[in-house]
Amino acid sequence: MKFTGWFTIVLMLALSTVAVAQEENEYDAPAEQEKKLELSGNLDVKYYMFNMDQKSAQYRLQFFNNLQSSSLLSQYKLEPYLNAEYRTSDLGFVLKTHASYYSDTDARFDLFEAYASFNPSFATTLQAGKRVYSWGKGYAFNPVGFVNSVKDPENPELAQGGILSASAEYIKSFPSGALQSLALQLIVITPDNLINGRYGELKNTDFAFKSSFLLWDTDIDLMAYYSKENQKRYGIDFSTNIKENIEVHGEFSFNRSLPRYYIRDNREVEEKVNASSYLIGLRYLGETNTTVIAEYYHSDAGLTSNEFENYNSFLIRSIESNDAAIIKQAIGINQSYFKSSALMRDYLYIKITQPEPFDWLYFTPSVYTIYNLTDKSFLVALTLNYKPSTNIEFILWPSALIGKEDSEFGSRQIKEKVELWMRVFF
Amino acid sequence: MKTKIFSPLCLVFLFTISLFAQDANKLLKEVDDNLMPSSYESYRKLINEEPDGSKKEFTFYTVKKGNDKIAMLYLTPASEKGRSTLRLGDNMWLYIPNVNRPIRITSLQSVIGGVFNNADIMQLEYSVEYDALYGDGTDKEYILNLKAKNKTVTYDKLKMWVSKTDKILRKVEAYSASGMLIKTLEFKDDKNFGGGLTRPATIETYSPLYKGYRSLMIYQSIKKRQFADEIFTQSYMGRLGDIRK
Repeated sequence: MKFTGWFTIVLMLALSTVAVAQEENEYDAPAEQEKKLELSGNLDVKYYMFNMDQKSAQYRLQFFNNLQSSSLLSQYKLEPYLNAEYRTSDLGFVLKTHASYYSDTDARFDLFEAYASFNPSFATTLQAGKRVYSWGKGYAFNPVGFVNSVKDPENPELAQGGILSASAEYIKSFPSGALQSLALQLIVITPDNLINGRYGELKNTDFAFKSSFLLWDTDIDLMAYYSKENQKRYGIDFSTNIKENIEVHGEFSFNRSLPRYYIRDNREVEEKVNASSYLIGLRYLGETNTTVIAEYYHSDAGLTSNEFENYNSFLIRSIESNDAAIIKQAIGINQSYFKSSALMRDYLYIKITQPEPFDWLYFTPSVYTIYNLTDKSFLVALTLNYKPSTNIEFILWPSALIGKEDSEFGSRQIKEKVELWMRVFF
Repeated sequence: MKTKIFSPLCLVFLFTISLFAQDANKLLKEVDDNLMPSSYESYRKLINEEPDGSKKEFTFYTVKKGNDKIAMLYLTPASEKGRSTLRLGDNMWLYIPNVNRPIRITSLQSVIGGVFNNADIMQLEYSVEYDALYGDGTDKEYILNLKAKNKTVTYDKLKMWVSKTDKILRKVEAYSASGMLIKTLEFKDDKNFGGGLTRPATIETYSPLYKGYRSLMIYQSIKKRQFADEIFTQSYMGRLGDIRK
């Protein structure tokens, strides 16, 4: 579709939302709106202890200048999150910031979100700025997360940065019948490939569209992502309760011209493929309040066993070259194209949470694993979460990566890790 | 001959039981009506008290429409602020600001810890979820025995004490399907909330499963208010605070 066609659709949707808004003013907002500016945030203080796998290619690559250091390392990190929200019944401004501080010479600031919103009615909202979107029903992975920030399956609930965009959303509720509600969302995404850090080519503006339904007590989303430069993507997801204590969910996406990276003849290769990805999962609540989340995730675009072997060999050959330029190039390729936390094709994710065992209120232990079904390597972790008092949280989080030397998790630079978090909210 | 006499007696017995149930269900509906307007907004505080005397407090803004829609926004503490829950009949979702999308949950789950669970906090109307029968009352109180209409209801059985003078709920005992007492809710401190609504402002909850712990739900305000249906949708959960007056 030509750009003018998309532009017409955006304009029509925006105009229709305003028109609908005018029809729906029977539930008027309070005549005198109270202005509300709220500040909030938290400080995460994190202490890590690592047992590094000094034989692994990843370690030797990342630490090639410091190979003589001990295998037991520690890290101290501060992460302040500061947020401001101003809201009236029809206007809003949201600012969410984040910083990472390791030392005075290594600190970084992130603008997670900064957007303005206008609600012409209860049913419609227009937003513009940098915003986080979260599409999909999966807990650890989201094949239909076309506009999502990159999720860390180890901590899917961590705040993330958004994308520069403008969006319009319209909601309609139906009082009776199988279809209980409908929501339409259109997002215009500005080009991310900038010239001189500021200018994007107009033709590289992307569009994403999602329609959501609550149909026969089932949440269903249909989504599409259109881009001239990037891949075109289509997806569907669902979530429903099949029993009073069992929820099932699934996602399927089909991607056209998806860029796929692998190593051939000791160099990185990019090819555009048509690939699908899917996820099926469930959430079970036991009688003693035990929650189990289990998900199977598949991605056609992931590396095969041979491709992963080639990738690992590439890293080893780069290190063994002892050539700083080659090693630097390998680090660059590794960080640009192989930084995903799930590089291969088939994974199983299982998380078991038992809130307040032995009547210990506000204490929640969880155990989870991400299991690579192809090479049988896995990550296993235990999180012990304790909120002894209001607005404070402690987390003890040991984890281990287990697998053969040439497997995905077995080849990582860390063998074991223990995290200690202290979080204070205001 | 015996069968001929027995059959009419059976019919009379069943008819009487049916009338008795209808009467009890009518009283249950009155109890609901005396507790809450059909559509309202409310502010309430939930306090979890521990055996050592320490307390955890939450504040919620709640909106309800009809007998199957309720939504709730966490106002305090800061660690939970911005979370919201939505219930549409048997469907329930939790919205966490960092996750930025609604997640389906069950009414059995507790999202705040303590003795209250989602069903207690997101209670719709008793008469929607339960069938009632009269139990042995006292001079001052009716006793109703309630049985859940289906399996999605959190507590299989409830025993309910209702004052005869004003038909206000005074106490509820919640039982599992096996007959185990799960928790007791006591309704206290009658308060005039305006608009003709006088009801208990405090609900105190304790459970044999959490010995020494106690939870209090204190209603600060309850006001009749009409809402658009769209407020009770998943897409609205992230901006529920926009409608607060």
